[in-house]
Amino acid sequence: MNALISTALAGVVMMFAGLFIRNKQHIKFVAIAALLIVSVANLAELSTIEGGSRTVLGMVTVSHFSILFNAIAFGATLIYFLLSGSAFEKVGEHVADYFALVFFILSGITLASSFSNLLMLFLAIEIISIPQYILAGSNKRTPKSSEASLKYFLMGSFSTGILLMGITLIYGAAGTFNIEELGLGNGDINPLALCGIILLAFALSFKVSAAPFHFWTPDVYDGSPTVFTSFMATVVKAGSFIAFIRIFHGAFTGTNISAHWQLLLSLVTAATLLIGNFTAVFQQSVKRMLAYSSIAQAGFMLFAVISMNKYATQGIILYAAAYSVATIGVFAVTMKLKDYTFDGFNGLARTQPVLAVTTAIFVCSLAGIPLTAGFFAKYFVLTAAVQQGNLLWLVVLAVLCAAISAYYYFRVIIAMYFKQGEPATKEEITGGFKVMLVITAAIVILLGVFPGLLLNLI
Amino acid sequence: MPVQYYIFLSIVLFCIGVMGVLMRRNAIIIFMCVELMLNAVNLLMVAFSKMWADAGRVDAAGAQIFVFFIMVVAAAEVAVGLAIIVMVYRKSQSVDINIMNRLKN
Amino acid sequence: MGMSLQQIVFGVLSIISIISALGVILSKNPVTSVLCLIVTFFTIAGHYIMLNAQFLAVVHIIVYAGAIMVLFLFVIMLMNLNAEIEPQKRSWLKYAGAISGGALLLVLLAALREASVSSLQPGAVEIGLISNLGKTLFSTYVLPFEVSSILFLSAMVGAVVIGKKEGHES
Repeated sequence: MNALISTALAGVVMMFAGLFIRNKQHIKFVAIAALLIVSVANLAELSTIEGGSRTVLGMVTVSHFSILFNAIAFGATLIYFLLSGSAFEKVGEHVADYFALVFFILSGITLASSFSNLLMLFLAIEIISIPQYILAGSNKRTPKSSEASLKYFLMGSFSTGILLMGITLIYGAAGTFNIEELGLGNGDINPLALCGIILLAFALSFKVSAAPFHFWTPDVYDGSPTVFTSFMATVVKAGSFIAFIRIFHGAFTGTNISAHWQLLLSLVTAATLLIGNFTAVFQQSVKRMLAYSSIAQAGFMLFAVISMNKYATQGIILYAAAYSVATIGVFAVTMKLKDYTFDGFNGLARTQPVLAVTTAIFVCSLAGIPLTAGFFAKYFVLTAAVQQGNLLWLVVLAVLCAAISAYYYFRVIIAMYFKQGEPATKEEITGGFKVMLVITAAIVILLGVFPGLLLNLI
Repeated sequence: MPVQYYIFLSIVLFCIGVMGVLMRRNAIIIFMCVELMLNAVNLLMVAFSKMWADAGRVDAAGAQIFVFFIMVVAAAEVAVGLAIIVMVYRKSQSVDINIMNRLKN
Repeated sequence: MGMSLQQIVFGVLSIISIISALGVILSKNPVTSVLCLIVTFFTIAGHYIMLNAQFLAVVHIIVYAGAIMVLFLFVIMLMNLNAEIEPQKRSWLKYAGAISGGALLLVLLAALREASVSSLQPGAVEIGLISNLGKTLFSTYVLPFEVSSILFLSAMVGAVVIGKKEGHES
């Protein structure tokens, strides 16, 4: 609850900051300070919870898990503000409003990690979505941005309609919106419940851009201002996954019903892994490659949804942290370059060695190389699937796809270290930015060596 | 009267909305079809609310509150959505989603 | 005739809603689509009254027919879209859309045909009255009520960010 209230207040503070603070650099500092306060308020709640969880008014259940996930989302956003916060000024004039919208998205994510009622799920998804439509269209200078916004909006509200139909059918079967009381799947399967769960799975697959509902992703991520793509593809996607896991692990665990959606979602996972990885191979622009790789990474995160055990919860926590931090890092470096294609990275190791080394670490983490956070993230979600049994074919497919992904991730490293070129940067690379990059890379390696730092907190 | 009638009616309206979204390319019409889908959902929710109230559930009014929230959220979504559509129209003098694809490539 | 008055009213309202819903997606002129949609909304309000949801019926008319559809009409007239300017979509894409929508319809109908749900009683229930809904909204559902304000704040900020012209805009 602290996290929800403080993020909403921080959003309001940012709206007023735009009114009173003329210096755009200072607005960024206000946002960072507000985020620090939000993080502290979130962690302060940890001591007030007795017995694992606390339910507020029957709508929200705050637990150690949700607080830990909020902390990861806030931490990743803090890194994002520190690395890319100055890029907000280049998008348009309403800098404070962009920060306010980011805070509103964060309050949606805190809701997604703690809802215990289907109405709150709907509100969480909407609070996450509506600011994103706006951020996607915030660059007024290029028509691509407005079109990305329109496309995202139409597809997003379409999927909301499907989500609502799913919720309604589930209500028809169960007679309640409280996810702990739904009690589906014990005994005979009600066709209403089954249709509802399938529609819900489709709608949420859409929100996390899983195949075959991923078609909006490349255009939207490519058209949106890069600084916001970086946020949408990382923290927001992890937030949508938490909503997915909460509802499916919290309410649809009955043995009769879980077999049905597990089969459906394992097919979705296979399609996501194949389509994401194979199309990422053919991209020439790093920004578009990252858009497709975010689809591929969603395939790995889906493993945590399909397998219902403690490795899955640990895996999604670790995956959310590893994937978000590394992708935010790569995006931050990409944004400094003039040319977003692979050729734009040629020779970066010679001109900007710090940028090159840290980018290499981030990319290795995304590919899942040992000693980086991405390795243990992939290890945990795949272990969860192995423990689940009957999913071995999917695990084999995932390992093959991870091998394919190494090809397009390493193209960045090859361009930086083994090709000649004069990479042009948009602006002077400041010392502070380099320090932040090094700290971020250190976090990636630290989590890769001691994943227990995060996992012991659950 | 069987609840089935309402289930069938809402499913038909919902699927007409889905067809509209997939068939048309005028952004405003697509958005209107989404509104039609939401209304089909609302109708079914109200029918289920009556069904559970008849079955003696005291919390059946919750479903009507849910419908109220859907309407409220739809109103907010319309405000944002029409703003986006007007912005796109100002840029490209069209709300045809296929023309946008051509611009992109 | 074995049909009650209620069933006759239901049948007439349903036929009008389905025909006008088809009008929304089939008509070439956007203004006709809007008008068809308004007719659909009124028939749905009729269904609400039959289901003892009097408050929702009124809110539905005010919000949808009164506010949302008027906004739609404004935007359509602002853009001068009332002419039949929408070019024909490539027909295979159109058919694909119709077929996938129809397939969804058939699957859902076939699945829900066997759903074991009870019948609605003809008697009136009190749940749809404004005092009862108000009590529920401000007791059990007070948290979502407050949370929805975040949604409105972001929609408000969004309208400003998107609607306002910027200095460097071409």
